[in-house]
Amino acid sequence: MMNKLTKTSCTVAAPVARQACRSVPDAISRRTFLRNSSLMAGGAALASTLTPTMMKRADAAMSEGGGKITEVKTICTHCAVGCGVLAEVQNGVWTGQEPAFDHPINKGAHCAKGASIREHGHGERRLKYPTKLVDGKWKKISWDEAINEIGDKLLEIRQKSGPDSVFWLGSAKHSNEQAYLFRKFAAMWGTNNVDHQARICHSTTVAGVANTWGYGAMTNSMNDIHQSRSMLLIGSNPAEAHPIALQHIFKAKEENNAPLIVIDPRYTRTASHADHYLKIRPGTDVPIIWGMMWHIFENGWEDKLFIRQRVYGMDEVMKEVKNWNPAEVERVTGVPEDQVYAATKAMADNRPGTFVWCMGGTQHTIGNNNTRAYCAFQLALGNMGVSGGGANIFRGHDNVQGATDLGVLANTLPGYYGLSAGSWKHWSRVWDLDYEWVKGQFDGGSYEQKGGKDVHVMNTSGIPVSRWIDGVLEDPANIAQKDNFKAVLFWGHAPNSQTRGVEQKKALEELEMVVVIDPYPTVTAVMSDRKNGTYLLPAATQMETYGSVTASNRSFQWRSKVIEPLFESLPDHTIMYKLANKLGLADQMFKNIQVNGDEPLVEDVLREINRGMWTIGYTGQSPERLKKHQENWGTFNYDTLKAEGGPADGDYYGLPWPSWGTPEMNHPGTPILYDTSKSVADGGLTFRARFGVERDGTSLLAEGSYGRGSEIKDGYPEFSADVLKKLGWWDDLTDDEKKAADGKNWKTDLSGGIQRVAIKHGCSPFGNAKARAIVWTFPDPVPIHREPLYTSRRDLVEKYPTYDDRKSFWRLPTRYKSIQDVDHTKNYPIIMTSGRLVEYEGGGDETRSNAWLAELQQDMFVEIHPRDANNAGIKDGEDVWVESPENAKIKVKAMVTRRVGAGVAFMPFHFGGHFQGKDLRSKYPEGADPYILGEAANTAFTYGYDSVTQMQESKCSLCRITKA
Amino acid sequence: MARMKFYCDAERCIECNACVTACKNVNNVPWGVNRRRVVTINDGEQGERSLSVACMHCSDAPCAAVCPVDCFYTTGDGIVLHDKDICIGCGYCFYACPFGAPQFPAEAAFSTRGKMDKCTFCAGGPEDDHSPAEYSKYGSNRIADGKLPLCAEMCSTKALLAGDADVVSDIYRKRVINRGASAFDWGVNFNKQKLQG
Amino acid sequence: MRIHTLLFVVCLLASVFQVQAANPQSAPPPPPNSLFTSNPGAELWREVRQREGDIRGTTQMKSTDAGVLINTSGQKWREYRMQNLIPKAAVAILVILGIIALFRVIRGKIPMSGGRSGIKILRFTTNQRVAHWTTAILFVILGLTGLTLLLGRNFLIPVFGAEGFSYLATGAKFLHDYLGPLFALSLTWLFVLFVHGNMPKPSIDLKWLMSGGGMFGKHAHAQCYNAGEKFWFWLATLGGLVVVISGLVLDFPIFGQTRATMEFYHLVHSIAAVVLILVSFGHIYMGTAALEGTFEVMQTGYCDANWARDHHDLWYEKVKDSAGAEPRQAGIQPGMAQRESTDST
Repeated sequence: MMNKLTKTSCTVAAPVARQACRSVPDAISRRTFLRNSSLMAGGAALASTLTPTMMKRADAAMSEGGGKITEVKTICTHCAVGCGVLAEVQNGVWTGQEPAFDHPINKGAHCAKGASIREHGHGERRLKYPTKLVDGKWKKISWDEAINEIGDKLLEIRQKSGPDSVFWLGSAKHSNEQAYLFRKFAAMWGTNNVDHQARICHSTTVAGVANTWGYGAMTNSMNDIHQSRSMLLIGSNPAEAHPIALQHIFKAKEENNAPLIVIDPRYTRTASHADHYLKIRPGTDVPIIWGMMWHIFENGWEDKLFIRQRVYGMDEVMKEVKNWNPAEVERVTGVPEDQVYAATKAMADNRPGTFVWCMGGTQHTIGNNNTRAYCAFQLALGNMGVSGGGANIFRGHDNVQGATDLGVLANTLPGYYGLSAGSWKHWSRVWDLDYEWVKGQFDGGSYEQKGGKDVHVMNTSGIPVSRWIDGVLEDPANIAQKDNFKAVLFWGHAPNSQTRGVEQKKALEELEMVVVIDPYPTVTAVMSDRKNGTYLLPAATQMETYGSVTASNRSFQWRSKVIEPLFESLPDHTIMYKLANKLGLADQMFKNIQVNGDEPLVEDVLREINRGMWTIGYTGQSPERLKKHQENWGTFNYDTLKAEGGPADGDYYGLPWPSWGTPEMNHPGTPILYDTSKSVADGGLTFRARFGVERDGTSLLAEGSYGRGSEIKDGYPEFSADVLKKLGWWDDLTDDEKKAADGKNWKTDLSGGIQRVAIKHGCSPFGNAKARAIVWTFPDPVPIHREPLYTSRRDLVEKYPTYDDRKSFWRLPTRYKSIQDVDHTKNYPIIMTSGRLVEYEGGGDETRSNAWLAELQQDMFVEIHPRDANNAGIKDGEDVWVESPENAKIKVKAMVTRRVGAGVAFMPFHFGGHFQGKDLRSKYPEGADPYILGEAANTAFTYGYDSVTQMQESKCSLCRITKA
Repeated sequence: MARMKFYCDAERCIECNACVTACKNVNNVPWGVNRRRVVTINDGEQGERSLSVACMHCSDAPCAAVCPVDCFYTTGDGIVLHDKDICIGCGYCFYACPFGAPQFPAEAAFSTRGKMDKCTFCAGGPEDDHSPAEYSKYGSNRIADGKLPLCAEMCSTKALLAGDADVVSDIYRKRVINRGASAFDWGVNFNKQKLQG
Repeated sequence: MRIHTLLFVVCLLASVFQVQAANPQSAPPPPPNSLFTSNPGAELWREVRQREGDIRGTTQMKSTDAGVLINTSGQKWREYRMQNLIPKAAVAILVILGIIALFRVIRGKIPMSGGRSGIKILRFTTNQRVAHWTTAILFVILGLTGLTLLLGRNFLIPVFGAEGFSYLATGAKFLHDYLGPLFALSLTWLFVLFVHGNMPKPSIDLKWLMSGGGMFGKHAHAQCYNAGEKFWFWLATLGGLVVVISGLVLDFPIFGQTRATMEFYHLVHSIAAVVLILVSFGHIYMGTAALEGTFEVMQTGYCDANWARDHHDLWYEKVKDSAGAEPRQAGIQPGMAQRESTDST
């Protein structure tokens, strides 16, 4: 019963500068109506130059309220939490967004980005048509022109310099199918110079964790945190980066009284809700964790049974941990003993406890040490393989997990098979191609040696994204490939998330061709002074296409298409087909994939993935099963993610990998990795037998620990045809399976029979081994502390020095000691670190083009402590220069706050469009510039790369801050 | 009838700003007008807490009391709405409101503000339900569909609650009990002074 | 350590039970016809208001005062405006108008002594007249529009209806906001033109005041402007200054004025304006209908010599020669300081 006044017309009596009220004329499309009534005004260049003819929208009459509403289910594209999104579409126009209350991960909730994602349906600050840079001006061209010119140039470069001279930079925002095709594309082209954001995000996690216990992914899930009795977050700020994770964390905090421990150099919004907050100096993760382990071992809190049965090498770790007594911990990290003790006790007393980390721990030269230390901690407490425990690694972009799994990486093929001949042969079989043909696509040369023998370029890691600029600028004689990069395709990857911006600008200018394939121009389009040879191709967002995506907790989620691609954009897989066709690779690439017009059938791609990715169990997640899950979101339990009744009864939501065997086997997925309380058939698992059977007289296989229902009541190696035969289980295979499986193992048997039979007998196909706390193949087998390259603590460099310089590492010379040897502390006294804001994501062009988000963060800033501000005469809100030892400087606003400690400064990395004080807005193609521009933090960030994965060190460097 | 209220649980709010953008999304609120905002006190220091603030739909609304043209009205659900056609943009409601809810699209000389805009509890305005006029002036009318304001429905941590005051009170009470019970866990370090390095 | 924890537990329990027991008396009275429910937010916001220290924080919004969590001055302003200012202003206006009406009834129109002489003396230059009328007209419009915004809701909505009054109020606000700065200029102009004659001279002005300005009984001496006029001049100037300055603050809210600032200046503006309006009733009455021969002076610039002798004798003495005035009608001697009763019988 509303007490309303009736109105007959809308009058605007007072003069208004912006919007007051307006009435809507009849027969206007909702889209143009929305365009008129939203956005604009404030901050930046306003009116779009868009004319209605350029929009491929069906005009819809708005008179009686818009027409029938269709509900489309999709998944947010901003981060790896994987929130469900309910889009309301009328006449092909995205007019509404409802909370997806029955989605098991977010229950309808969103962060600022998810709550505003409807903007993708009408936002105009994006690439609209293929564009080419001609004498410094942007010129519209057709798709055919673009593909032809780009293809011709690529072939020319291939001819002159070889296939390794093109860098294929893929994306964590591709769907699984697109990511897979992308990796395949690079393979067809004949290079391993393919990479994506995971390199600079969680590459050290994947390497460190996979080398500890088999798989490098999040072991439990955010929902599983409901069962946690304690929670430790290090280098993780979910309040900004994964807000929905806090929904789950708070549940544990409030209902389980689970203490929340936050370890971070900044007192973040997450830390303000913590029960324990440990403020460490940036770059001292190993010391603090070893410092906590010191208390664990000192008090005998470790889970001795678990260690004896399922961990190898903990005694080596204990030896190193002994060095980290409370005094040394405080000296190096700055955290006093009582805090370390209290936090450790909280974890030890309240098990199972979960352990979360993000970029704060991974982005270091010793990132792989950090991640392994985190694993060791959980192993010591016996928190692995249990509900409520685990290494809950929150991934970043929406499909970085999928893109990583699908091998968009310079050092592997899809499924982490690696680059050995065996791996290539496996994939050649899956691709139904002649291995020799595939090999022939590569440069025939060899530029590296392994074990005294020449190694073919096909089997060596390519150059990763963190180092692509050195692929351009470095003397080709020093690079382990034929020639420098001549062309880079930025396919869904911004440049301002990588360090060394000044050198990056130079590198961009040296390239013969730069291609950006993205819904948004990205900073690549403006940061260099290129005048020609640059192409911008409009890719459709994930809202304009469909496919599967893998969330951080390894769950697959099916996205349905909300709207048709806007303007002249095309889905990435369509662009891949067009380009592959031009390059003469389409027949091979899409041999068993149906192509409709120019669009490869997404379902077929997924089926091919299912046929080939046995290593991580990407085989059970067929399109049909995933669509069923999408249609029945509400049947999955909020705590366990298991469907209770309904069409997906018994499945875990999204069939979290590994979902073993063929889809017909109907494996429910593995919600918690390494959980021996469940049978493998029900989603249980053991640690992977990956590192051998024995070492130095000690068994590397599990001792006395095995999965529920396992017929082998002890550790066992990975399964192969031979192992099955030895066990007498060979005849459990069908005849067809036997044909395919003979001479193969669980990874290469394309029938899935070996996996099926192993599981039938209650065994994990990949064996049952111990996790190893020391990785003897890494530079530091036992994780140790090393000071960052640019450190503020010269007094610690002698005891904790960095590595020696390397002549060739991922094909490039890589420096360590020669940088750390220089003392910069006098001129650059402040520790510089970086991180995230909730309103923006990644390189930021996408989110800064959304007015609803852009309004909330209008200025790039640096957080500086009052002490440092007073010393430099800086007031809150003033413009300052942040300068780095590598002669880069950026002009940002000072935010004086106690959130950072004295001597530490923080910057968000999402801004771009200014460069060293210069505003580059005019260089954007017209109408495609984001509302908000700013300096990129990474323009100032410095050299420094992880000793295993080439992860960039963007969490600790040095700077000087002065008034502008 | 139900009495509609908002409540923001400061123990849960993390300033993710989903409530802010959800409101912009569902009501097409222009740049510069902020029906909902999140305010953080003690930013960056111990005791930092955030609160999401918008019109609280007061029972004795100060805005309604001071309006020179009496353009406000309260619905049977207790939702305070106003008529933009009658509003003269004088700004008095903004002075009186404890929460700063009234927003103006302009801020110009000669006291030119445009028509006041504020949170409507997603209940639209005096125009007909779901009419284009209602949508363009006031935003969506979710209440008429039996839904609740989108800000609360999309809150990432369920900090912001909206709905019948009794139900909201109930939910909050349960949370307080849960949190109070934490005090019985002796293992947790409550020595607040030493929490920060 | 344990004791602290125990105390904390006790306090927490106490606060838990306190929250659970909703206090009916602290909640605002429920409107009729609705189920009584407590506002779950009332406790939270009460605590915020009673916080020690800041109720101002940070926010991502850029508008003025966006970072203020709760604005406590608004309620005080509301109460003062609604419960004090508006009722008292309405009453005062009625009272003053009543007094003037009463005075009219009792005294009637006051004639010149000895009737018109026919001799005209220049009193106001054209410049002065234009300045006066400009200011006067602006004042009247501003006064009426201002009163419309202050009192219109109570008195005019019943007459015009909600929609109709909205049109009226919109027009009133428009006129008020645009003419206000013009009034500032006009008043300044007026001040400059009239200040010379309005400087106080206590020896004369006080006596004039003591004798009631000739309202009851005999006239006292007066210069070009008598004490009453001087009083009005200075009140209009100073009061006008207050109204103008506060008005400009209110009219240009583009310099980051906080709500507390606007509320303060609003009250200053309203009170000063109401006072001016009340006294202006007197001035207007005096200048128009009260006396014979007064209105034409500001209308034409010339006054009758007898009128001048009546009301501004000292000035008349100074200027009579310049006017070429002859001695007047019988009964009046030049130089006479005393006045007979101006009662026209």
